[in-house]
Amino acid sequence: MESVLVGLNHKTAPIQIRERVSFSAESLPRALDELRRRFGAREAMILSTCNRVEVLGVGLTPDPDGAELKRFLSEFHGLEPDALNGHLYRYTGDELVRHVFRVASSLDSMVIGEAQILGQMKEAFRYSEEFGSAGSFLRRLMQHSLFVAKRVRNETQVGHSSVSVASVAVELAVKIFGSLRRRTVLLLGAGKMAELAARGLLKAGAEQLRVANRTRNRAEELAARFEAEVGDFLRLEKEVATADVVVCSTGASGYVIDPGMMERVVRARRFEPIFLIDITVPRNIDPAVNEIETVFLYDIDDLQHVADNNLQGRQEEADLAEGIVEEELRNFRLCSRTQELGPLIGSLRRRLEELCLAELEREGGHFSPEDRSTLERMLRRTAHRVAHPLISQMKETCRGSLPHVNPLEFLAEAFDLPEPERKPRK
Amino acid sequence: MSGAFPPGRSTSFFRYNRFLIMGEFLFRAALILYIIGVIHSAAAFVTKRIALVKVALAVVTAAFVFHTLFLVYRGVEKSFFPPVGLRDSLAFFAWAVTLCLLIAYARYRVRALGLFLLPLVTVLLLSTVFIKNSPIPEMLRSSWVYFHSTLLLLAYGMLFVAFVAAVLYLFQEKELKSKRLETFFDRLPSLQTLDELFQRFLLWGFFFMTAGLVVGTVWAEQQWEEGWHGDPKVIAASVTWGIYLILLYLRLTAGWRGKRAALMSLAGFLSILFTLLGVGYFGGLHKF
Repeated sequence: MESVLVGLNHKTAPIQIRERVSFSAESLPRALDELRRRFGAREAMILSTCNRVEVLGVGLTPDPDGAELKRFLSEFHGLEPDALNGHLYRYTGDELVRHVFRVASSLDSMVIGEAQILGQMKEAFRYSEEFGSAGSFLRRLMQHSLFVAKRVRNETQVGHSSVSVASVAVELAVKIFGSLRRRTVLLLGAGKMAELAARGLLKAGAEQLRVANRTRNRAEELAARFEAEVGDFLRLEKEVATADVVVCSTGASGYVIDPGMMERVVRARRFEPIFLIDITVPRNIDPAVNEIETVFLYDIDDLQHVADNNLQGRQEEADLAEGIVEEELRNFRLCSRTQELGPLIGSLRRRLEELCLAELEREGGHFSPEDRSTLERMLRRTAHRVAHPLISQMKETCRGSLPHVNPLEFLAEAFDLPEPERKPRK
Repeated sequence: MSGAFPPGRSTSFFRYNRFLIMGEFLFRAALILYIIGVIHSAAAFVTKRIALVKVALAVVTAAFVFHTLFLVYRGVEKSFFPPVGLRDSLAFFAWAVTLCLLIAYARYRVRALGLFLLPLVTVLLLSTVFIKNSPIPEMLRSSWVYFHSTLLLLAYGMLFVAFVAAVLYLFQEKELKSKRLETFFDRLPSLQTLDELFQRFLLWGFFFMTAGLVVGTVWAEQQWEEGWHGDPKVIAASVTWGIYLILLYLRLTAGWRGKRAALMSLAGFLSILFTLLGVGYFGGLHKF
């Protein structure tokens, strides 16, 4: 039974196209229903975020190569049949699995390593299950994707990139203001990254945090969490003028802060510098604002760019993550034939991890937190390294390609031990 | 360096010679140490290694000590405090700049400043070798004059540091705005620090300049009653003072910083240079 994935993301399609094919929570049930009834999908899942729209179908009857899914995307949104030409990608088989793994572990994200995508994926899968569109393939794929994402987060630094975007924001603020003492941070709107940045600024010593939101309740909720003050979104200009760092992440589709407003703000501040951080896509602050004297505007791409340049060994981490994806892809492929092995493999991995980490527990008292997390990553990696050959061997055995091996031979085979150590074959 | 040594200072030729050699030694030691300091500052700037900054700082402190001793030596040699006459003025101005550099480091931990100030200090000190001090009119051998020129030269040193701080602010600001954080981001301090540095040295420099001018005016009034107002150096100094008054006013009321402050500062400093060096061509009371 063939599975197909068709979609577009921030790399293949501009925001204008992405907006037009995105699915809302309301339209999802209808879309899943249509996929099942009109296109005969045995299983289906739709992932729709602001940076990507992907439709995954299993066992589409008339045409398994994805043309049907493409037709579905444009028809469902009332677009011209070729409006999406050149923007879509299509994956089947192993490539599909690899792609889903990469998306889940945030290797395909705009901000590589951001953790939001995994939650969005879980949500999409939950919808599928709720509307009866999830079957054994999707379930297994999801389970394994979560596992891959977890491995990537635990064993590489890739997951720390979103943190590093926030820390770049802090670093820049410090370069502008010296110390952040006596400085006020204004958080406009909400969003994971914005919160992360605000948290970082507070941690770096910012004295006051004000939160303003279109919906007052949301602002109050956030303010309670941060022990911040609630600002007045309707008097935005005044709020901005009293802040030194503005972290902007409203859901607005247009510019909330424009050059005219900033001109007045700058004059009101008597040319005291102001640092604006725009974390939203589409942007909420007019880029022209950066032209104004003493205004420093950074959007998410700028921060990411700085983070990329700063983070040493970033490529190695990404390579490491890709390696994990490839390894798990092989496991997934094997697993599909030897599904019953799944739980056993899982517990073997856990057992090895526990053994390694127990060692850290015992000796770990005198390490700094940073060293500890590095050691933990190393140990996890070691556990998986050791587990990997065992698992492949188990799978081989299970598939019957190596019948009736004795345990010693099994180990020698698994770890590729040199010849003299081996016992002669019985 | 061989100064015109006033005869009759020393009774024995041997002591006279020893004395002369000491002056040479102090001067050369200061100069060589400054050059080493420049090299280390440049290396520290390029490699971003803090250890090099520490070396540079130690070397410059040593140079400063020798420089100070040298000025004292000159004072003893001429039997009055130095900064009258172009040669001693420049040596003292260079000393004032180094003093500001050390203060700026002690107070703000600004590491990059050395690279931008020390070359000037070195060149100034070196240039004194080629300048002959003309004899100073007996009339000017008054403690008023010493105060007058000392205060003004200290002020000029501070204002030069303020100018450099403004330019560095401009560099850092440009880089932050362009979002290509390659050259200055790691090497220069925060905008806030540079801005504070600028304002502090501007304020103090202006204060010293005003004090120096007041002393000069009071003394001139006593000496001449009239006729000294038209002296080219007096006019140039007044213009300089006016420029800094405007800059200070705009800074404190309109929050001038960045490009405007840097440009205004440049104008002020060029005016200082003209007052210090250029005005001599026009003759007048300050010509010696």
